[in-house]
Amino acid sequence: MKPILILACGNALRGDDGVAWHIGSALEAELIAAGVELILTRQLQPEHAEPLSRANTAIFLDCSAVDQPGIVSTRTLQPAQSLPRIFSHNLDPASLLKLSLDLYGRIPSRSEAITVGGESFALREQLSQPVKEAIPIAIQAVRRAIFASEQESVFSPQK
Amino acid sequence: MTQTITIDPATRLEGHGKITIHLNDKGEVNAAHFHVTQVRGFEKFVEGRPFYEMPSLMARICGICPVSHLIASAKACEAIMSVRIPHAATQLRRVLNLAQMVQSHALSFFYLASPDLLLGMESDPKTRNIFGVAAAAPEMGRAGVALRRFGQSMIEVLANKRIHPGWVVPGGVTEPLASAKRDQILAMLPEAYANVGLALDAYKKVADQFREEIEVFANFPSNYMSLIHEDEAIEFTDGALRLMDAGGTTIEDGMTAGRFVEAIGEAVEPYSYTKFPYYKPLGYPAGSYRVGPLARLNIVQHMGTPRADKELAEFKQLAAGPVASSFHYHHARLIEMLYGVEKIEQILADPKILDKHVRATAGVNRLEGAGQAEAPRGVLHHHYKVDENGKMTWANLVIATGQNNKAMNDGVLQVASHYVKDGKFSEGILNRVEAVVRAFDPCLSCSTHAYGQMPLSIELLAPDGTTRDELRRG
Repeated sequence: MKPILILACGNALRGDDGVAWHIGSALEAELIAAGVELILTRQLQPEHAEPLSRANTAIFLDCSAVDQPGIVSTRTLQPAQSLPRIFSHNLDPASLLKLSLDLYGRIPSRSEAITVGGESFALREQLSQPVKEAIPIAIQAVRRAIFASEQESVFSPQK
Repeated sequence: MTQTITIDPATRLEGHGKITIHLNDKGEVNAAHFHVTQVRGFEKFVEGRPFYEMPSLMARICGICPVSHLIASAKACEAIMSVRIPHAATQLRRVLNLAQMVQSHALSFFYLASPDLLLGMESDPKTRNIFGVAAAAPEMGRAGVALRRFGQSMIEVLANKRIHPGWVVPGGVTEPLASAKRDQILAMLPEAYANVGLALDAYKKVADQFREEIEVFANFPSNYMSLIHEDEAIEFTDGALRLMDAGGTTIEDGMTAGRFVEAIGEAVEPYSYTKFPYYKPLGYPAGSYRVGPLARLNIVQHMGTPRADKELAEFKQLAAGPVASSFHYHHARLIEMLYGVEKIEQILADPKILDKHVRATAGVNRLEGAGQAEAPRGVLHHHYKVDENGKMTWANLVIATGQNNKAMNDGVLQVASHYVKDGKFSEGILNRVEAVVRAFDPCLSCSTHAYGQMPLSIELLAPDGTTRDELRRG
């Protein structure tokens, strides 16, 4: 199987912002058994460009502050055309893909963002009810993305 | 008519600050200030907590150098406990602190400073950032990423977490080092050596292009302070402080954390929430001093590792006495990274590092204690008072960035006075004013955890508050 990387991003101390950690943790044993690399992180950083460059499929798990609470969305990502002019520590997925391309000359052939709309970002470790209920749906979305990547591997074996 | 230029917030720093430049009627700079606009409330809200919680609480101050806070805090607690920790624990803390220093210096050099150094102070601000470096010199970008990962991975291997690890506790560390973990770290070293070497070579190639900046980037006589080992080598975790004057003469030596409390005062200026520490016998501001990589390399006689010693000898050729230009913080930082990798290898080569005795235990034996360590940016000091039950009644932290506060302010004034003429400024001048602060690698995050997209504006204001000129970024 071609390498798959899951980057689960968020702050587990800020309520729904940490939903990716809950999803990643729930899937951890399954992912390890399947040989999928899982990185749980508070924010995307330049250091993630290197593992990203090694992956054939990248799945970015995150909370969305824009979508309705509990709505699970999947969308395809492309490298950013331009990059933020001012950078401190955190990056968005498209910028990270661009950095991976600039630094290592390659990016995953498939990159997807799976997000869950958040409701509360208060200082607490618990998720809101809509987000909690969305976790099984998000887990299925991750499994579908992995399955699609595996199917691609079967039909176009790595040289 | 007097005017004021404001840079708010200053960019590519850890945390938030702003810079104001005050002009006189002739458009000349007559004052400049670096304002730290964050408030640190840690000293207050730890009151009432058990003292043994302090290291893990204090580590939350900063996501960049939590290890230094852990160590300084644990040492303050050990002063309260009146214990000496096992040798293996001291060495393990030393390795952890060096790992943090490498990753922090990598962040400073590659992510924050290298855009100026490799692309130029006047280069297009749209690409004068780590992404621009990645596009123009991908090998440098890769080296920076790899060195950050090296330091962070080491911290994770040793202490189980990259940020805010809980492994360092009062009395030592929570668990000994397993041989498999030691071997894992040793396997990372060859790549780290290669990447530091790449950065040193690249820096030396471009340093000559910055002669003007070297002349005016906080280039003035000052005192310096750092920890130093008893054999005159550089020291990050133990040892005692030495204070040296601008001519290289030692003012005070063997300054313990207890003595620091007596000898160092903290002045206050109305324009900043960060205090201005100074050596009391000399008074303020004469007793102000610089800390961090430049101070450490000025003070030590040798590094204690072969490759870094060669680099130190070359560094000391930059001046007849102490190296005064703060531009050379960058060079000193790279030498320290090389030292860090070498020292980690030295320490891990000793089989005693696997010793199982890594923690001493005791209760409250004194009602007051202080501890100090070298953070990447310089001396970090924690001072605590507790009641009979070990509950915190008072705390004071003196962070490295504060100790460089006077020099940073004087540096801003020096750069602004040199470049701003007739009240006119350009984006490149604005960048140099920020860059002199950046050379110190201040960590304002010791106040809060703020980071993110930081737009920048610089305004020239008339006394009536109307905007006379403006530059805006982001």
